[in-house]
Amino acid sequence: MTSSKANNSRVSFASLTLNNLGTVRKLNSVLFPIKYTEKFYEGILSPDVENFCKLVYYNDIPVGTICCRFENKDEQVHLYLMTMGVLAPYRSRGLGSQTLQLILDAAISHEKPSINKIYLHVQTSNVEAKQFYEKHGFKQVGLHENYYKKIVPHDAWILEKTIEH
Amino acid sequence: MAAKRALTPKEANLFKDLLTLYETRQLKKGLKTADQILKKFPEHGETLCMKGLILTHMGQRDEGIDLVKKGMRLDLTSHIVWHVFGLIQKGEKNYEEALKSYTQALRFDKDNINILRDAAQLQTQLRLYDSLVETRYTLLKLRPTLRQHWVALAVAYYLNGNLDQAKNVMEKYESILKNIPDYDVEHSETLLFHVRVLEALEEHSQALSLLDTNAKERAIVDKTAIMEYRARLLSASSSTTGEAQEGEGEASAAWHTLIDHNSENIDYYYGYLASLGLHPTLSPSYDSTKALETLQTLSTALPRASFPRRLALTLAPSPSSEDTNGTFHTLAKPYILTALQKGIPSLFVDLKSLYTDQGKMEAIQGIVEDVLRSFDSEDTSNAEIDRDPSMYIWTLYFLAQHYSYLASHPTLPQPSSPPYIPSSSSSSTPPNPSPYPTQSHSLHLISLAISHTPTLPDLHLLQSKILKRAGDPYGAATAVNRARELDGQDRFLNGKTGNALMRAGLVKEASGAPGEVGSGSGGGGGQQGKGGVLGVFTKKDAASPASDLEDMQSLSYLLEEADAQRRTAPSNLGLALKRYLAVQKIFTEIQDDQYDFHGYCLRKFTINVYLNLLTWEDSLLLHPAYLKSAISASQIFVYLHDGTLFPSFGILGGAGKDRGGSGSKGGKGGKGGKGGAGEMTDAEKKAKKKAKKAAAAQKEKAKEREKEEGKKAPQAANEDKGLEPPAPKDDDPDGTKLLVCEDPLERAAKLLAPVVKLLLSKKDKTSKGKNASQKRMKGYGEIEFWVTVYDVAVRRKKFLQAIQALTQAHTLDPEHPEVHLRLIHASKTVSSFSSSSPPSETITSTFSSQLSNLLPSTISPETHNSQYLQKHSKNARAILASAKALEMLGSSTKEEVETVVFGMLGSGAGAEGVHVDVETALEGLGYLYSLASDEKAEEFRVKCDERFVSSTVFKSEQEQGKLRDAVREEVTRLPGEEKEKGDGEVSG
Repeated sequence: MTSSKANNSRVSFASLTLNNLGTVRKLNSVLFPIKYTEKFYEGILSPDVENFCKLVYYNDIPVGTICCRFENKDEQVHLYLMTMGVLAPYRSRGLGSQTLQLILDAAISHEKPSINKIYLHVQTSNVEAKQFYEKHGFKQVGLHENYYKKIVPHDAWILEKTIEH
Repeated sequence: MAAKRALTPKEANLFKDLLTLYETRQLKKGLKTADQILKKFPEHGETLCMKGLILTHMGQRDEGIDLVKKGMRLDLTSHIVWHVFGLIQKGEKNYEEALKSYTQALRFDKDNINILRDAAQLQTQLRLYDSLVETRYTLLKLRPTLRQHWVALAVAYYLNGNLDQAKNVMEKYESILKNIPDYDVEHSETLLFHVRVLEALEEHSQALSLLDTNAKERAIVDKTAIMEYRARLLSASSSTTGEAQEGEGEASAAWHTLIDHNSENIDYYYGYLASLGLHPTLSPSYDSTKALETLQTLSTALPRASFPRRLALTLAPSPSSEDTNGTFHTLAKPYILTALQKGIPSLFVDLKSLYTDQGKMEAIQGIVEDVLRSFDSEDTSNAEIDRDPSMYIWTLYFLAQHYSYLASHPTLPQPSSPPYIPSSSSSSTPPNPSPYPTQSHSLHLISLAISHTPTLPDLHLLQSKILKRAGDPYGAATAVNRARELDGQDRFLNGKTGNALMRAGLVKEASGAPGEVGSGSGGGGGQQGKGGVLGVFTKKDAASPASDLEDMQSLSYLLEEADAQRRTAPSNLGLALKRYLAVQKIFTEIQDDQYDFHGYCLRKFTINVYLNLLTWEDSLLLHPAYLKSAISASQIFVYLHDGTLFPSFGILGGAGKDRGGSGSKGGKGGKGGKGGAGEMTDAEKKAKKKAKKAAAAQKEKAKEREKEEGKKAPQAANEDKGLEPPAPKDDDPDGTKLLVCEDPLERAAKLLAPVVKLLLSKKDKTSKGKNASQKRMKGYGEIEFWVTVYDVAVRRKKFLQAIQALTQAHTLDPEHPEVHLRLIHASKTVSSFSSSSPPSETITSTFSSQLSNLLPSTISPETHNSQYLQKHSKNARAILASAKALEMLGSSTKEEVETVVFGMLGSGAGAEGVHVDVETALEGLGYLYSLASDEKAEEFRVKCDERFVSSTVFKSEQEQGKLRDAVREEVTRLPGEEKEKGDGEVSG
């Protein structure tokens, strides 16, 4: 397992492998009201996104995950943040901020292709999450109506942040 | 004869060449040379033998051995033919016979160095130390210039217990040594051996001065060994002379140096304390306060060492209850809190040895419960405890282990206060309050932890363990599989899953070949086509995970599968036997493996570790795995002999049912000898016939196979295949032949005999040795072993052996239920002596008189049995034994026996508070089935099912089948393939 120590010695990160994918599945099933497809799990194992898909450990216990993918739009490269979550008991300890910062740093230093912006969807009921991203410099740029088919509310905000190189 | 051996000069030279060619393993050339000689002297015995030997090396074993035998007959007085024959026998690991051949060879050539050296190795392997000394002496006389021969003789003396001679040889050897290079490891080893000899002679000051001189001169280079010997010798010399503070001070200093060197070695701490007169058991003036102060000083000096802190918990006096400011409490609290904060998973395992002390156990429980309470109370004022979420789950984890352990070890002191049940908002419903810990408490705590942090494998693993203890093998398998899915590269979790599956009756899903798995899920590839779960980490080109695990000598796997086969169905007993015997084979291999070291270690002068190896090999067979397999296989052999039903011991209680229907009045070999066959049911006779038929058919097949292989035997490559015979073809892969073997009792006796010898010889030796053997046996019952020896011996009509075994078991625990049952059996055996044909007057009288030492002959066995039942009316296992005894005595009705069995569940009058665990209850159920009391058994089963709330083993067969199918589906499905089908791709 390749894990890198973050500033806070109790928090560390690990890249995803076929072997710890079971942990990602478990976290997703607890954290999100959506069941992800096998295509999703194939995608996050791709070597291209290794720096943007991580498990988050607190005291050596896997408690969170963050997964992104690349999207090409109008000759620009966007990083789409698909999932990010930390188990409820471990929130408000800076884990989310550290994780997001890790991804932002990776995005800044990423070359070939260089990343123009990072964006994501937040369900309109999840005000806390929106505030969290805004705190980290994301801006709401739109509303996607009926984004979620099976969960209520169906709408999602679109938040994005431009990557300054 | 001698005339026949003579060759013409040309051939004589050729023969010399032949020997050299063999030595250098130029087999093809050697063969040609031999043929050249034989052209002229076709009757030359030595050449024939050499040719045979070479052919054997080339893999043409049968032909080669025929030639060797032919050559021997032609020249029986040649040392060469006997040497060759000895080599062949040695290759077959037939050490006794090989040594005989070597002895013959030496008769005709008594100074042959090669033969002497080989003989010495055989003598060491066979532990014939008297003759080893002689051989080594001869070798030294023949070649006194070889250093190795001196040391080898000293080692032989040492092994034979002639310490003085060993010392003399070493002194002489050192006096004639010249030109030793500096830092010579070989010389250092021999000097250390010399010190070892002196230590064994208790000549401490001599040993010390030898050690110090050579350490200073840098002749002994192993620094750790020097320090350890010094510390030990200083301690020993000060304790024997009783002299002086000074000596003590030096010893303490030596131990202290060792502790600085390695602060996690228990022996160093005990040595240090002993040198200060503070050893808890060895020091007459032991003072715990001083000992604790000493440890405190050590922990301050070595802040990173955990052992002094842990040892302090052992040495602290037992606290009185409610005393939360006592020494133990003060020491334990920081120890536990630090570990919980750090998240040390092994904390409970580390502390559980303290649980024999009720005060300490309750103090620990109090400390951890307080931590949990502070988490529950939402009270942040307690600054002592950081409200860290990971600490919270480790606290739950600890307490879950704590309650589960206490609940499954009723003989340990139990806490006087009821367990703390945290309030919970989660879905898991708290168990009913109970004054004592139960598995339900643990299950509640662990499910709280899992819903808090579902990603920690340790939690699922513990849940599995608790479920297993609670009697739910299916839930246990599912839980551990969840842990496995979290971390695909964890071999430990994988192995645990395999074991749990076997306990749930899913052997194929655990270790089956690719084609055998996944029948339940309707294809889907199962374990990615790898066969059973265990196949994830076994060799990919092995026939099945099972066969690779056997090759890799995995004892735990073999035992687990054997137990699983034994539980499932009577037809699988053969496979169970096969697996138990495979364990036995592994131990033989380990014993054989030491052979090469007898030569190698002396040549390389690695004497000290070599001597440790020999000591270790000497008590190898007391390894729990060997004992368990020997006992279990013997039990099966006994049942095969008796021809009675094999009682359902296992967790799959429901399976006991198809063993019902036999009126096996003979019971536990009540009839002793023959006549078992008459008691079999038709169904069993059929099964036996079938097995015989299958065995015969397999034999045919094997023959055909052999024929075919014989045809295409590869012709003479120059490749050396060695002298070891190739592994024989397994012509009984399912153990069906074992089930119909003619001599089950003899086979059982053969398994048990070496351990009997070992245990008795240990007992003959000092009491020290006895302690060591008991310590070793702790994991698997010595009582169970002796009882099994009794069962086998009494059926073989070896009455003296039987009574000896029974006496041994009786000494260990006269009230043990299995011992009680055998006592009754023995007294019944005595009364049968007069009626049936008696073995012999002296034997019967010895048997009865020795039995009367254990069981007064003035009391009838019937009375004794009812007294025993009264005395142990709260012990379920004792109740079951007394029911079996009642049946064996034959004067009670079936209803009476059944009533006693039901007493296990406390239904009888005044039997409130009988402690019964799942395993014992299952045995009771199996016993009722074997009595053919189907209706009663059903009633018993339903009662158990109600009583053991978290269990599934008392469900009906049908219900258990469904549970098993569910587990199968769970482990064979692909990841992500879950019951509810997910919706389309959505993200965010």
